[in-house]
Amino acid sequence: MFVQPKREKEIKPSQERQQRNTSLQQLGPKNILPLGYKCPRWPIFSPYSFSLKTPRSTLEQSRRDSRVRQTGERRDDDAMEAPQSSLRSALVFSFIAIAYLSLLVRSATLSSPELQILNAERRIDLTSHIIRVYLTLKVENTGAAPASEIFLAFPPAQVDHLAIVKAAATFGKKKKKSYLPLDVNPTDLPDAPNGAKCFSISLVSPLKTGESVTLEVLYILSHSLEPFPIEISQSESQLVYYHDSAIILSPYHIKHQTTFIKTSSPKVESFTRVEPSDRVGTELKYGPYEDRHSYSFSPIIVHFENNNPFAVVEELVREVEISHWGSLQVTERYKLVHAGARHKGVFSRLEYQHRPQFSGVSSFKHLLATLPPKVHSVYYRDEIGNISSSHLRTNSKKSELEIEPRYPLFGGWKATFVIGYGLPLQDFLFESPDGRRYLNFSFGCPLAETVVDKLTIKVVLPEGSKNPSAVVPFAVDQRIETSFSYLDVVGRTVVVLEKENVVPEHNSPFQVYYNFNPIFMVAEPLMLASVFFFFFIACVTYLHMDISIRK
Amino acid sequence: MTSEHFASFLVFIFIHVVAFAYYIKGLLSPKMFKVAVTLVASVGMVLCCAVVAVLIAMVASSPTKGWSGRSLSLLDPTYASKYIPIIASVSEHQPPTWPSYFMDINVLAFLVPAGITACFLPLSDASSFVILYIVTSVYFSGVMVRLMLVLAPAACILSGIALSEAFDVFTGSIKFQLPGISRNSQIDVRDTSSAGVVTQDDGVKTDKNEESLKERPSKKNKKKERENAEKALIKPLLEKRLLVLPLEASVISLLLLVLLGAFYVVHCVWAAAEAYSAPSIVLTSHTNNGLHVFDDFREAYAWLSHNTEVDDKVASWWDYGYQTTAMANRTVIVDNNTWNNTHIATVGTAMSSPEKAAWEIFHSLDVKYVLVVFGGLVGYPSDDINKFLWMVRIGGGVFPHIKEPDYLRDGQYRIDSQATPTMLNCLMYKLCYYRFVETDGQGFDRVRKTEIGKKHFKLTHFEEVFTTHHWMVRLYKLKPPKNRIRGKTKKSKTVCVINKASSTTSSKGSGKRNPWQ
Repeated sequence: MFVQPKREKEIKPSQERQQRNTSLQQLGPKNILPLGYKCPRWPIFSPYSFSLKTPRSTLEQSRRDSRVRQTGERRDDDAMEAPQSSLRSALVFSFIAIAYLSLLVRSATLSSPELQILNAERRIDLTSHIIRVYLTLKVENTGAAPASEIFLAFPPAQVDHLAIVKAAATFGKKKKKSYLPLDVNPTDLPDAPNGAKCFSISLVSPLKTGESVTLEVLYILSHSLEPFPIEISQSESQLVYYHDSAIILSPYHIKHQTTFIKTSSPKVESFTRVEPSDRVGTELKYGPYEDRHSYSFSPIIVHFENNNPFAVVEELVREVEISHWGSLQVTERYKLVHAGARHKGVFSRLEYQHRPQFSGVSSFKHLLATLPPKVHSVYYRDEIGNISSSHLRTNSKKSELEIEPRYPLFGGWKATFVIGYGLPLQDFLFESPDGRRYLNFSFGCPLAETVVDKLTIKVVLPEGSKNPSAVVPFAVDQRIETSFSYLDVVGRTVVVLEKENVVPEHNSPFQVYYNFNPIFMVAEPLMLASVFFFFFIACVTYLHMDISIRK
Repeated sequence: MTSEHFASFLVFIFIHVVAFAYYIKGLLSPKMFKVAVTLVASVGMVLCCAVVAVLIAMVASSPTKGWSGRSLSLLDPTYASKYIPIIASVSEHQPPTWPSYFMDINVLAFLVPAGITACFLPLSDASSFVILYIVTSVYFSGVMVRLMLVLAPAACILSGIALSEAFDVFTGSIKFQLPGISRNSQIDVRDTSSAGVVTQDDGVKTDKNEESLKERPSKKNKKKERENAEKALIKPLLEKRLLVLPLEASVISLLLLVLLGAFYVVHCVWAAAEAYSAPSIVLTSHTNNGLHVFDDFREAYAWLSHNTEVDDKVASWWDYGYQTTAMANRTVIVDNNTWNNTHIATVGTAMSSPEKAAWEIFHSLDVKYVLVVFGGLVGYPSDDINKFLWMVRIGGGVFPHIKEPDYLRDGQYRIDSQATPTMLNCLMYKLCYYRFVETDGQGFDRVRKTEIGKKHFKLTHFEEVFTTHHWMVRLYKLKPPKNRIRGKTKKSKTVCVINKASSTTSSKGSGKRNPWQ
């Protein structure tokens, strides 16, 4: 059985693979192809978790292969196995070399505008469970034709967890740097190997031959820290794996590149060495690497301690109800889960209360929700009533609601709750020049540093509103529903926006436009008044009528 | 159906028969009526005899003559504690204390005797009914706290009578002595005031009339008139007697009575807000820096509902059955409406057994989690340790191997170092005080005001899975059964090793803190 290494260890490629292979038996579905395995469809690039995409037979065979070659391989007899592994790594490198060559030939024939990246710097921020990657690229056009698009490539394992990709072109020198946001769209490159997905950045003005441009790219990954061990007890701290490549995956030739990885704590159990690589405190440095060909990939694993709250909202339904009488009522239903390493065995309140620095370090208790200013009638409750542990701080800029779930959340524990509040309408509802009204409200989850797996926003428009349309700065699923509330006759139009994998960077405003005739505002009061009126009229007529048969 | 309902049923049937007979009499001619009476009477007698015979046979077959435990315990207050501990265990079935009378009916407690005397002064049918009503309800409320509800309306009626008599006397004497008012206006005032009194009396009387058997309206009116006439006759007589009361005294007493009423209203509002409306599930305490909320019950129930499997079963004492079902949405073993005494006794037995036996009982019931309520850390008195003696009694009533004296030291229930070993080794003690000593180093129980008897112990068959913020609710999980190992005698050493290995892998952290220490 694989024993957790206590000291920090350098993992050579061979050892690392061995580690992965042993962990493979534990992790079950997480299957890993051997690095240099010759596979006809995927020449080099073999990312980690694509058990879903790998045909079963190849996988089986690969596993059998590796087992045949690694007979008797055990963690215990490390020394005995060393010469064998060095032999194998030599074999692997030769495969890689062959694959590189073949790829070089292909890429040369396919990409029409000849671009190359002069300098690439990547900073990966692993401090929370939301991974932010800042990429600075200096792209030069070396081909003959001007290029209007620049492509970014991501391994399929990352694409599934990619929440947002933003790009901006930078101008000017250090002091007067200005950023121009650019459009990013997912595309398919025919020559992308191994199911790598591409995003194209559309430049404002095409890049002419010999010119260069500096791009700043931010992309965010959620659910990409894999806890290992999967289950921890209360006294242990949480260790996670981060999988990536030491070399930036790119459809272009990269001349010079460096990767910095910032971990949340200086406790790094292990990390893959790809020379030159180095670690100082909480920062890992891979590179500089010179002259790497397009689609180069060198898998790395960083195994480190991350005790930040892994707060994931599995499902969030935000209901925004507009009343033209002057208020906006927001109801948010949360299904919260701690997505880190699962809690195992006992939960001792004693340990939790008396030794907070050693016990339950990966658990969390507080959540901070940032609400708009001038919020009123805030409530925080669940199915069984009000939850009494919350604090609201309001000022003119924003309101902060600090909430505590009923119990501290350990790995795998869940909680559901509802937050509701009212807002003044004039801050959020405006009239556009063409006479339509629009709601301007913030998308995303008000809770700080949380990932929302599935976010549903329901904008309930007042009864009688017509032609609703939503304007959201990113792709969402939209549909129209009808809901009924008190005294509704035709029902209220509900604009439903759905998005998966939402991170705090999605908290940007969106608009819902609709036509509304103010006469509908008085429909319901009129209805009530007329009902009472007719009732009294009926009473009066009844009292004044003589309907007896006998006179 | 039990025997205590027969009286009311029979009266109900009898009234209807009589009413029906009168109705028929009105319809038929006298001759026809006689024929009908003989016909119906002969057939009816036979039917009645048959029904009565069946009823008597049914009643006679039961050992308590068809009387239910509850009504028997009303007639004989010691009955429940002798034979049905489960009825006696409910706190609202206990006899009330004097403070609880004062708390619940407050001023009325002093006005009721005055009301009774007032009822005796002119003893009429109505007032004798009221006297009977108050006497029986006082007796019932003396047997059980919950029957204070029966006492409340009777006490209200009687103190109303007392107050009205007192007002009558005081205002009468004031009016008589006041020199400034002319004769004319005096009459007016007296008329209106007496009319007020009369209508008030009528109100009371109509109530009573309705409560006593529903009399015919014509009769009622007649009676009222008669009473009014009586009142009018008595009035001058009374006024003459009232002359003795001096003016100042009556004015002051009137004011005092009004003040008394005002204070009673204040008390009622306070009692309704604090005593009757306070939820028993969210507890609050007032501290120097504001209100402190103890929301432990809902914390535990929310944890159960979110972090356990949907079909897991939770065992707890039956008090928490409904709460667990409603708030945690989990199946319970016994709840507040469990009629099966043996079932409750099974849980009581498990709680009062040592760990292994308890584990076997719970395992046979397919229980996954055990919930106990423990108030020792924050001083919450109605916790499971204080209820524990009833679990022993109820369990012992069905399973004789649980004996109450085993848990008592010289007839005293205690959990300190003087407690009996049976007590210190039972499941309830262990689940409540597991690792409690490590909170303050001594294990001082704030409810029992004593240090606990057994401080350091481990659990072998249960593991702690959740404890709420103030330790008021503690949840334990049954450990999975160990694998059976065959051939114990032959390879005792290997068995031992395997056993150890399996226990460490299957249940890590079951109180084993540091193997190197």
